[in-house]
Amino acid sequence: MAFITFDNVEREYHVGNSVIKAVDGISFSIKKGTINVVLGQSGAGKTTVLNLLGGMDSPTKGRIFVGEQEISDMSEHELTTYRRNRIGFVFQFYNLVPNLTVLENVQLAMEICENPLDSKEMLTKVGLESRLYNFPSQISGGEQQRVSIARALAKNPDILLCDEPTGALDSATGRKVLKLICDTAEVMGKTVIIVTHNALIADMANMVIHMKDGKISGIKNNDQPKDTEEIIW
Amino acid sequence: MVKNSLFLKSIRDMKNAKAQFISIFIMAALSVTIVTGLDSVWKTVEDNTNIMYAATNISDMWIYVSNPTEKQMWSISRIKGVESIEKRFTLNAISDIPGGPTLKVYAVSSKSALDRPILQHGSLHSKRGVILDESFAKKHNLGINDKISLKLNSKWTTFNIEGLALSSEHIYSIKGNTMIMPDSSKYGFIIIHEDMLKGIYGQKIYNQICVKLAPGADVSEVKNEIGRLLGDDLIGSVAKGEDSSTNNIYANIDQFKTLATVFPLMFFLVTALITQSTMFRLVENQRGQMGILKALGYSKGRILWHYTSYGVYMGGLGALTGFLIGPVFFTTLLIPWLNLSLPSNQISINYLNLTYSFSLILACTGGVSLYAGLKLLKDTPAQLLRDKPPKEGSHIFLEYLPGLWNKMRFSRKLIARNTLKNKMRLLMSVLGITGCTGLVVAAFTLTSMINGITQHTYGITYSYDHKIILDKKADSRYIHNKRLDGAVALVKETSVEIIRPGGKRTMELLTVFPQHSPLINLQDVSGNSILLAEDGLTITRKLAQTLGVSVGDIIELKSTDKGYVKVPIKQIIYMATGQGMFMTDEFYESIGETFEPTSILVKWNQKPDEVFLASDYVDEYVSRTTQIEDTNKSTQVIYIAAVLLITMGAILAFVVLYNSSILNFSERIRDLTTLKVLGFYQNEISALVLTENILSVLMGWILGIPLGKFIAELAASGLNDQLDLYSRTTFITVVLSGAITLLFALINNIIVARKMKNLDMLESLKSVE
Repeated sequence: MAFITFDNVEREYHVGNSVIKAVDGISFSIKKGTINVVLGQSGAGKTTVLNLLGGMDSPTKGRIFVGEQEISDMSEHELTTYRRNRIGFVFQFYNLVPNLTVLENVQLAMEICENPLDSKEMLTKVGLESRLYNFPSQISGGEQQRVSIARALAKNPDILLCDEPTGALDSATGRKVLKLICDTAEVMGKTVIIVTHNALIADMANMVIHMKDGKISGIKNNDQPKDTEEIIW
Repeated sequence: MVKNSLFLKSIRDMKNAKAQFISIFIMAALSVTIVTGLDSVWKTVEDNTNIMYAATNISDMWIYVSNPTEKQMWSISRIKGVESIEKRFTLNAISDIPGGPTLKVYAVSSKSALDRPILQHGSLHSKRGVILDESFAKKHNLGINDKISLKLNSKWTTFNIEGLALSSEHIYSIKGNTMIMPDSSKYGFIIIHEDMLKGIYGQKIYNQICVKLAPGADVSEVKNEIGRLLGDDLIGSVAKGEDSSTNNIYANIDQFKTLATVFPLMFFLVTALITQSTMFRLVENQRGQMGILKALGYSKGRILWHYTSYGVYMGGLGALTGFLIGPVFFTTLLIPWLNLSLPSNQISINYLNLTYSFSLILACTGGVSLYAGLKLLKDTPAQLLRDKPPKEGSHIFLEYLPGLWNKMRFSRKLIARNTLKNKMRLLMSVLGITGCTGLVVAAFTLTSMINGITQHTYGITYSYDHKIILDKKADSRYIHNKRLDGAVALVKETSVEIIRPGGKRTMELLTVFPQHSPLINLQDVSGNSILLAEDGLTITRKLAQTLGVSVGDIIELKSTDKGYVKVPIKQIIYMATGQGMFMTDEFYESIGETFEPTSILVKWNQKPDEVFLASDYVDEYVSRTTQIEDTNKSTQVIYIAAVLLITMGAILAFVVLYNSSILNFSERIRDLTTLKVLGFYQNEISALVLTENILSVLMGWILGIPLGKFIAELAASGLNDQLDLYSRTTFITVVLSGAITLLFALINNIIVARKMKNLDMLESLKSVE
């Protein structure tokens, strides 16, 4: 059963007089509880896919379904509600609120959603139980990314969206972060979508969507995803 | 080419930060408009008056004395410091123009060199010829060779108008007693040849000596010396500045000087505060670009000028615009309301303050950007290119109150931390709002204070229908027998020469009436009704301040025909306008004078007695309603100035608010986008930014009220010798100023909220800029 469905989705941007099709008629579906990677070079349209799925942007054509909801025709307000209850984001640059402590950054997200998880437990799960009262500037990049994962998961979302989650991290830390994402998602039964240009990450996914110039150039199902520890980069 | 591309960058940078640049421009323009505008008003009046005084060779002193002897004239001319003297005859006479307007007649010799009129048309060439007040002539459509008759010594004498002129004694032309505001249709001057007096009075007569002093002479010393020389023959002496025209001009100049000091200062404080912090941030945000320029090999000087020029262009352009608008706008708008008869209204500029204001604006814009640039340039290009470490979060004092802190929602905590962490920004916006609210409150308070003058004088102190100036032949017995149908109060008003405790001589208005007079309700300084003191002088608070006297002091009053009488000050009263001294008729008689009323106040039971009013016994009369209108007219200029200041204060408030909320917004774009992505609703995000705005508006408003009151009192104390204003910051003022500021905050919030709605979640999250 498809949990997420993209049906011939198109997204155009107007830049000056020219029209750029960031996503040009793509269709795919994703099963619930799987780990998926959208792979492509810069400008392939992968971030647009993530934004569309995350409810931060709407397609100019085509339909997007998440579960029983069609998100492609939602209003801005409905999209916000969708975001707050169903989506967890992990960004390349963490995007923590510098004015709030680690614990508060997590609580901030929970404050607005329906079924939040315990914030301290979440932070313990990502190994930050000793950093609860530090401010983001007082911890390392890897730790900040873990806070951002904890923040995303604490909302108890259906879908975890990660945009180049390892982009700003060294390989060892990156690997740990990926492992954290995959392990917790698996345990909690979340659907994960990771957007990256790093082909090596693809090995750990159930499904890999290759994108090029706004189109899908191939979809590969992976019955035996590698453990993150086996990935070399 | 290199220069061009940097210049292009400047232009584009300004376009990108146009909100800030436009606010800087507006603030600079406003401040300079206010300072040069208000300055120009008084400077224009002062310069043109002084030019006129020099051109007319105005006297420094006028001595009232009946037919001075040759010996007296000679002795006065020999007093040290006296340059030249002239005698003349002057009195008010009724003319045959419809409505019977009064003209002040000056009978002078053809050789007269003091207080010369400035001829605008024609010239005096015959003995029957006269020079008429040009403003008066215009109002009555009189021209050269028209005839005019005057009632002199109870006879009508006809004269031929040969010249039209302006007089330096009639720049602010009022008759006294019944007039507050110059009105050329009712009052003017006329200059006749002294030889004409022979035919009218049977001989040449004189009642005034004009005295011109050498530069640097001590006016009060000369006055005292003349007083000693003339002894009992002296009726009184008036120095230039004490006469009603000069006095009123200087009151006007002073009132604008006061406004021009207090208000621009506030504008500049606010402008300086806001522009400097805005410029500083603008340049600091260019950190990375500065690194790029440096890395590319641009010289330090060129980079510095590039950033300094931002401030110089905007600040300089704004200041220049203000300078172009201010003087012309303010003088054309305000000076006509002063009703001055000056030959020219050539606009004068106060270059000193202009220089100050330009320097301050440039220091706050160009100077600050230079400073910020220098500070940044200390870093190496490599450091500049790296991101500035994000501001550290820190714990705030509220957290040490766990009871409160733990109850707060996270968004509230975020607001609290953000607000307290950016104390400078908060301080800046609070002070900005304080200043602006202060200006608005001050301007409102000032108008209500001035409103209070009419209300107090013609609502509380006096309640007559008509004030009637009596002819000499109408004595108290006549009035008594006349049995006018209404309440009647007999009043004697006279100008008396006094010597204050320090020995200084001035002429002050003395009003005498029976202790239990109807239609007059005196109040002490705390607003309680009181009666005149029985055994001494009652004096108004403002006059007591001007003279520097208080209850218990002794003042010497010049008697009508012999020496001086010492009278003690027994009581201080509050009079909004018409400052002077008061005593009862009984006390007046007890010091050897006779009480004969010069005017009566009447409240008619039914219709006014028109026959009496038109009779020979009445010189003239004025209704309280006219006096109210005149007073309102005379204060109109302050109202207009106040409206201008309120408007400008409001614009400033708006710009300050806009500026700080845009700053608050743009510095937190990343935070806000993160929240948006996390699924915070629009209104929740708006609340984060806007709460801080509302907070600073409220704080600024509360602080602005006492500030405004203070400014208003400061401004009021310097306004006018004749007016005693007491501050009344009314509930409405407070609410209105708050409403204005809040309204602006709301408009601002809408603008910022719209900006927030358009936040591009996608772009701003991609990388740290």
